[in-house]
Amino acid sequence: MVSKRKRGMERRDFLRVGTVAGLSLAEIMRLRETCAAEGGSDDVNCIFIFIIGGMPHQDMWDLKPAAPAEIRGDFTPISTSVPGVQISDVLPKTAGVTDRLAILRSLTHSKSVHQDGYHAMMTGKEPTASLDRSNKNNNQHPSIGSLVAKLGKQGAMPPYISVPNFIDSGGPSFLGPSHGPFVIDADPAAPEFEVRDITLPVGVDPERSLRRQTALREINQLERASDRVDRQVNALDSFYQKAFNMMTSRRAKEAFNISVEQTSTRESYGMTSIGQCCLLGRRLVEAGCRFVSIENGHWDTHRKNTKSLRELLCPAFDQAIPALLNDLSNRGMLEKTLVVISTEFGRTPRINPLLGRDHWPNAFSIVMAGAGLNVGQTIGATDKQAASVVDRPISPADVSATILKVLGIDHKQVLHTPLGRPVPVVDGGKPISELFV
Amino acid sequence: MARLLFCALILSANSVSFAAETTATILRVLPTKIVLGGLNREQQIVVTAISQDGQQFDVTHRCQIASDDPVICVCDGTRLQGRTDGETSVRIRFESLEQTIPVKVAGYGEYPPVHFRRDVIPLLSKTGCNNGGCHGKAAGQNGFKLSVFGFDAVADLNAMVKEGRGRRLFHANPKNSLLLLKATGQTPHGGGQRIRPDSPDYLLIAEWIKQGTPWGDDDAPQVARIEIEPHERILRMRDELQILVTAVYEDGARRDVTSAAAYLSNAETVAKADEQGHVQTGNFPGEAAITINYMGQVAATKIIVPLNMTAKSVNAPTTNRIDELVVAKLEKMGISQSPLSDDATFLRRLYLDTIGTLPSATEVRRFITSPDPEKREQKIESVLKRPEFTDYWTLKLADVLLADSNKLGERGAYEFHQWLRTQIATNRPYNEWVRELITASGYSNKYGPVNFYRAMDKPEEMAKAISQAFLGIRLDCAQCHHHPFDRWGQEDFFGMAGFFNGLERRDVIGSGQLVFHKGHTPSKMPLTGEAVKTRALGQLPFADLDQGDPRIKLADWVTSPENPWFARLLANRLWKSFLGRGLVEPEDDLRSTNPSTNEALLAHLTEQVIEAEFDMKSIIRLILNSRTYQLSSDSTETNAGDRQNFSHYFVRRMPAEVLLDAISQVAGSAERFPGMPPGTRSIQLWDNRLPSYFLDTFGRSQRSSPCECGKSSSPTMAQALHLMNAPEIESKIGDKNGRIVKLVSTDLSRDHLIDELCLTAIGRPPRQTERKVAERLFSMQPPKQAAEDFLWTLLNSYDFLFIK
Repeated sequence: MVSKRKRGMERRDFLRVGTVAGLSLAEIMRLRETCAAEGGSDDVNCIFIFIIGGMPHQDMWDLKPAAPAEIRGDFTPISTSVPGVQISDVLPKTAGVTDRLAILRSLTHSKSVHQDGYHAMMTGKEPTASLDRSNKNNNQHPSIGSLVAKLGKQGAMPPYISVPNFIDSGGPSFLGPSHGPFVIDADPAAPEFEVRDITLPVGVDPERSLRRQTALREINQLERASDRVDRQVNALDSFYQKAFNMMTSRRAKEAFNISVEQTSTRESYGMTSIGQCCLLGRRLVEAGCRFVSIENGHWDTHRKNTKSLRELLCPAFDQAIPALLNDLSNRGMLEKTLVVISTEFGRTPRINPLLGRDHWPNAFSIVMAGAGLNVGQTIGATDKQAASVVDRPISPADVSATILKVLGIDHKQVLHTPLGRPVPVVDGGKPISELFV
Repeated sequence: MARLLFCALILSANSVSFAAETTATILRVLPTKIVLGGLNREQQIVVTAISQDGQQFDVTHRCQIASDDPVICVCDGTRLQGRTDGETSVRIRFESLEQTIPVKVAGYGEYPPVHFRRDVIPLLSKTGCNNGGCHGKAAGQNGFKLSVFGFDAVADLNAMVKEGRGRRLFHANPKNSLLLLKATGQTPHGGGQRIRPDSPDYLLIAEWIKQGTPWGDDDAPQVARIEIEPHERILRMRDELQILVTAVYEDGARRDVTSAAAYLSNAETVAKADEQGHVQTGNFPGEAAITINYMGQVAATKIIVPLNMTAKSVNAPTTNRIDELVVAKLEKMGISQSPLSDDATFLRRLYLDTIGTLPSATEVRRFITSPDPEKREQKIESVLKRPEFTDYWTLKLADVLLADSNKLGERGAYEFHQWLRTQIATNRPYNEWVRELITASGYSNKYGPVNFYRAMDKPEEMAKAISQAFLGIRLDCAQCHHHPFDRWGQEDFFGMAGFFNGLERRDVIGSGQLVFHKGHTPSKMPLTGEAVKTRALGQLPFADLDQGDPRIKLADWVTSPENPWFARLLANRLWKSFLGRGLVEPEDDLRSTNPSTNEALLAHLTEQVIEAEFDMKSIIRLILNSRTYQLSSDSTETNAGDRQNFSHYFVRRMPAEVLLDAISQVAGSAERFPGMPPGTRSIQLWDNRLPSYFLDTFGRSQRSSPCECGKSSSPTMAQALHLMNAPEIESKIGDKNGRIVKLVSTDLSRDHLIDELCLTAIGRPPRQTERKVAERLFSMQPPKQAAEDFLWTLLNSYDFLFIK
């Protein structure tokens, strides 16, 4: 595309490299500490629910009852547990836990194609024209989950797990494949749900497995000893380490086994994909996974928007989300778990001839909860048609910065590509200050 | 000299002072004479200091430039602007060197007629006004909507002149037009200042308004091409360079458009350009291409920043021209070359890359003990004759050519696969069979190649697939607007699509579908409904398309040796197959603004393809015999970071199908695929949708786009878990008819058994560590279990999983 019009020599960028390189380790450490002290903590984990297709903000979170019928749609606002805050009548259970939510009503970016929107919201950076949309894993910037996997504190679990499927733009970009998600690739709502390959095959007892693992380490050691091994080899090596760690930690392995949950617990989340994914998500963060991304599809309601929302999408959603928040709270985990409900964009203000709504990145809503955030509030506002932001625009980068900060990761740090190009973790975004009061 | 006015002395703060250019002996100034007038309102000056040994240093922004007569012309920084008609000269001084350039200003007083599409639209593109993030997006921005990249100039003229009740322009006082007030930021503007007041860009728009906002004469000469200077330059880190861009019109008129063109770097850390074409390099070595776009005409300046400016001789032996060209590049970049690989590594690599198959223990033993100095050449010859060559290359082609059984049905996928097999098995020249494929008509159950067209529904998709698969041209962008990084516009796109208009598919009971062309009708522009003359990319419309199948003319053009991309793409693909990285990356993106990392080498390989009359095997033979292909994958101190110059072999994980076959071969336990005859290997599968967790997890191609990009070789944790724990793999290792059972039941000594397993799995005898590990396993348990554990260990080791 066209080069940005900036006067001057753009020398700042060179300076930035110089500054980072010029800092002593102690200075960098000090910066890190200051940052961590500002509000986040590295024992907070994240359940990141991504509504695939585009979540209709005006029908769920940001209703406009005064707008004409073809704009306001078929939903009516209802009161919630927060006086003065209303959400859609299609979310009655969620209305009961709105005091645990921060509703961000002023998200905005410029990408109206799904894949571009995924990239914007999964990474915090809008993609450039060269994004290869046919390649799900073509991240121009690391996804938030991959940043957490790279920069966050590690445990026995894979730090970034994707359930049930890989989400477009959920990849690691230049961080390399070892910081990509562990993809469950099976739906926990299915009766035959089983996570492959995490138990030892028949005939191999733990003792024998240990012998094999020891042998493998010795043989591969020679390779690892050289610091010039290929990046791919390094990546696979780190996967072997993690796989081995997981195999030997009972707690970690057990986390994938959703069938040990009581039937009543499972049913409280709803026996739906989103419900069981949320429950599995809770089990995974409980076992030490830092970032669980949950994909929930079929929200691209170009036709019959009302019917889809009312009969299919929202009931499952409205069952799962309050159940997750209550369960986290009952287990004392809510303070240490950030729940994000994100989406690639909102939907058009006007209902189309097929009774659907189309893509609308100009203004939309997302939701955050838990992690000691300042909840029970709405942030930002849109105009009377929910078409554009009139107060406090929030960018995808602001969302990234917020999540990273909550998870105790310095969002101001600069990463380097293998070639040495400095890349700010978050490009220009600022944590949403209202959440940290 | 009294009137000498030094008006340019720009010291770039971040450029370090170099000793080298102070010893320069020649000052070269471009252009060599300057004519200002007509559309050419200003002229960028580029100054290069050349040292005795021929090194070039751009000193444009560090020299003094002065007009000898400021009444006639003046300097604005490094650009010269006319004032009144007349002749004078400019004087350029750097250190002790001086040059004088004649200047002629003629017809400067009257601004020539401004042409909206030719002159105003490119300005809107350059300033970003009409890009997709701003007024160019579908909804426009705050009520002002332009077409993205100006593809719809009529609508844009309307939007600027008429919409908003005409309030955007003020004819009586052009400079008070809202358009200019906003663009210059004098009135609050969400997009900030896009145009500097009184800059040539600004004056152009003001002049256009003054002239009454004309559309312009449709017959006015258009931009025929742009000329750029330089095309390639070696720079130091923290160095700089001024690019010069000249538009040449159809009538031969020339106009300096350096400050009107748009610049985009593909590697900003290495080099970036500001909107005046002033390039600055960063703190890192590498290569960058600066894409230059003016009015849809594109070009690129390649910037090379070596690790080390003092060229070092690599001093390596070379076996063919490939090696000479690779070494020349390494010397230019100051990078060393790794030594030759050992025989065992070479053999395993040769087998895996060429036939997707591991060498057997016997083959390894024979090869590494042979004293024959020509054994590598001989082995290459024998591998090229193996039947697995056909299996493996058919698989590779089927991945690119969309042979997806989901779309084609089983019969269609089978027939297509069989046909591709025949082409490879007979080593039919690539151009011949591609020509047959492009022009294919017939029954899908009887004639394989027609199935290519069954994977796609619309003429537009076919145009895209043919362009990408055979020419390396990505047309997707041009479907809706002018490609931002390439020369293609909508007319090119729909011109190509026209060849496939009328390509019909009809169900025929018992024969699948009949694919045929019912005769040519041109495609229409979606915006205007106007018919677009059917033509191949960059070509004039073909005559006589109405007679017979128009695809014949297209196929002739695509597969001709004169086609600028056809042979080049094959050369680049073959290179990537063996060296792990294309000379152009992605390998099928051959636009002019995506330059090759070694153009001389790619040009050479392309020539070889043409000379060999598209005989794929002979090009493969050439690559395999090069020393470059046979280099060790171990890197040296200076080439560890090198990914572009082929200083060492690029380690890769085995592709999914090859890996599954290798595991089966080593365990001596064939994979059973449902519905396929026993003994079918993964590389022989014609059905890419046969359920296989292994192939999916290790990234087989989805065959959904006409490229190899559907294949993934990135390691994942799921892969590690599968190799370690999958019951499928465990049952291969313990197969009662498998290798372990057989080996253990013979009276082979333990040493021999360990040797045999290593030779089979990792293609070489065990090292000390490996033998020790194996012996410990044997000391702890019965031989069968121990052998199984050792084999498990080998199958999970890097030396097995990777082609090294």
